[in-house]
Amino acid sequence: MPVSNPYIYTLVHWVVVGAAILLLMLVVYGLLRAMKAGRSTAVGYALILPWLLGFIIWQAFPIFYSLYLAFTDYDVLTPPQWVGLENFRYMFTKDPRFWPSVRLTVLYSVISVPLGMLGALATATLLAQDVKGVGFWRTLYYVPAVLPAAATALLWRWMFASQGLINTLLSPIYNLLDMQPLSWFSDERLVLPSFIIMSFWGVFGANTVVLLAALKNVPKELKEAARVDGAGPWTVFSRITVPMISPALLYVLIMQVIGAMQNFTAPLFIKTPSGAGTFLNVYVYQQGFSNFKMGYASAVAWFLMVLILILTALVWKWSAAHVYYEGEMRKS
Amino acid sequence: MNTRMLNFLKDFITYFLLTLGAAVIVVPLFWMVSTSLKGSDALFTYPPEWIPRPAMWSNYIEAWKMLPFGRFLFNTLFITVLAMVAELLTSSLVAYGFARFQFKGRDTLFFILLATMMLPGVVTMIPAFLIWSKLGQIDTFDPLTIGAWFAWGPAYIFMMRQFFLTIPKEMEEAAVIDGANVAQIYWHIMLPLIRPALLAIGVLSFQGNWNNFQAPLIYLNSMDKFPMILGLKFFEQTLSKEAPMWNYMMAMSVLMAVPILGLFFSAQKYFIEGLNVGATKG
Repeated sequence: MPVSNPYIYTLVHWVVVGAAILLLMLVVYGLLRAMKAGRSTAVGYALILPWLLGFIIWQAFPIFYSLYLAFTDYDVLTPPQWVGLENFRYMFTKDPRFWPSVRLTVLYSVISVPLGMLGALATATLLAQDVKGVGFWRTLYYVPAVLPAAATALLWRWMFASQGLINTLLSPIYNLLDMQPLSWFSDERLVLPSFIIMSFWGVFGANTVVLLAALKNVPKELKEAARVDGAGPWTVFSRITVPMISPALLYVLIMQVIGAMQNFTAPLFIKTPSGAGTFLNVYVYQQGFSNFKMGYASAVAWFLMVLILILTALVWKWSAAHVYYEGEMRKS
Repeated sequence: MNTRMLNFLKDFITYFLLTLGAAVIVVPLFWMVSTSLKGSDALFTYPPEWIPRPAMWSNYIEAWKMLPFGRFLFNTLFITVLAMVAELLTSSLVAYGFARFQFKGRDTLFFILLATMMLPGVVTMIPAFLIWSKLGQIDTFDPLTIGAWFAWGPAYIFMMRQFFLTIPKEMEEAAVIDGANVAQIYWHIMLPLIRPALLAIGVLSFQGNWNNFQAPLIYLNSMDKFPMILGLKFFEQTLSKEAPMWNYMMAMSVLMAVPILGLFFSAQKYFIEGLNVGATKG
């Protein structure tokens, strides 16, 4: 049944798949009941079926399939050709664009994430001081995080333009130091700092909101008791407040690292000279979908995933010694 | 006297820093709107012109007419609504299953679900594309909407499960005694009770689909199927070939941002709630 209208076409598929999944849930329930499973078991498995199917089809299988592809040459048109370690050999030793991209991605993440966390923590601490109109400030600080990344990227590209707002505002300083205006995204050496500055603006809000909620949950009595014992504000902050909110800090930190390592939208909306702004995720996209090297792109994607896992594990390991969970003795 | 001085100083520094931070946020936004209302000859004036005179509201109409933005908007809404409905329905069902029923392997499966929150999308992107292309659905809306039936978004399931756990079990037990089945309980009792969570996730899901760039970029080729964000990309590419018309680009960026900002201001309670549920039990 060929349908020319793309909306009706997808709508029909959408309804059919939805109905099929609901039906499948009933079938699973019936089967399990027929196999003498308890009611709770049958209902439970039936209810989680959509996720379980999704996990198998869209996550478990793809992970292994992309690992297989990483050892092949695959241009989509002809079947994948096994090439062994060739993709990785090329990636690590010959590809002139690979290591610069790794460097950009890793440096961007390890600089911008901690900076963003510090900024958010400072802002949240300010807002937790019983300021008037907390709601107003919180809303305002959250705005950059809500904006579409595409709009934010275009805005910063425009502000960082050679005759853009930032250079205009900086021109007294340029005159004072007798230097040429910086060209930000158009200068290979300044691409990384420019991206970091831009991320600092965008990342604030969501983290501030999460950390503010955590700060508000720190019992006042704890801080007062410490103050009575003669602790100064800095001691209270570093010895009581930070440990108390450390689970929230850890959560934000890990999510930020994973996000930063996969930076994608902003770099595609910002032009940089000779690909200096090619983050790894963008590189995977270019290799796979512009050059149709699905095998090589999968190898790079796997490398990126392992890199993210390593960073996450490092954060986790470091946190085991520093994160304090209420009602739990520190294990180690 | 001394403490009063100290308190005053503390307040002063606090508000000063808060205002400084606010300026860092507001000035670029103001600049975006201001640029979008300028004529092309006023873009690079020195000193910068903050309030353009005359304000060229026609920029918006002209930029809108350069590409079929009306169509783009419709496409975005189409994708967003289908994905959101499927996402809400299935993730609430799954969350209900994890929250309320005992079955073998439940905790292991839930742990796997949480672990997938950290799975970078970059490794699954290419195989997922190959599956959709085997199914012959490249350049259709299918890959952007139908996957939602599989309760994608583990964070949403997690949030919803946390919410179900706060609801007393007596509510359902009474219904079971009255002879209601699971579907009835879910639909008539549980769903109304988790309305705040549904709203929070609905808002987050809307935002996610509205801002999603990678998936449409990979799956859609023909312009009449583009959502707003791909339209913006195409617009940027077209304009950048000649002198970039920053006033038009900013106008379209403003239009892209306004619906999300509107949603945020009218439903910010739910945005913030959604964020915090994720963090409290990380």
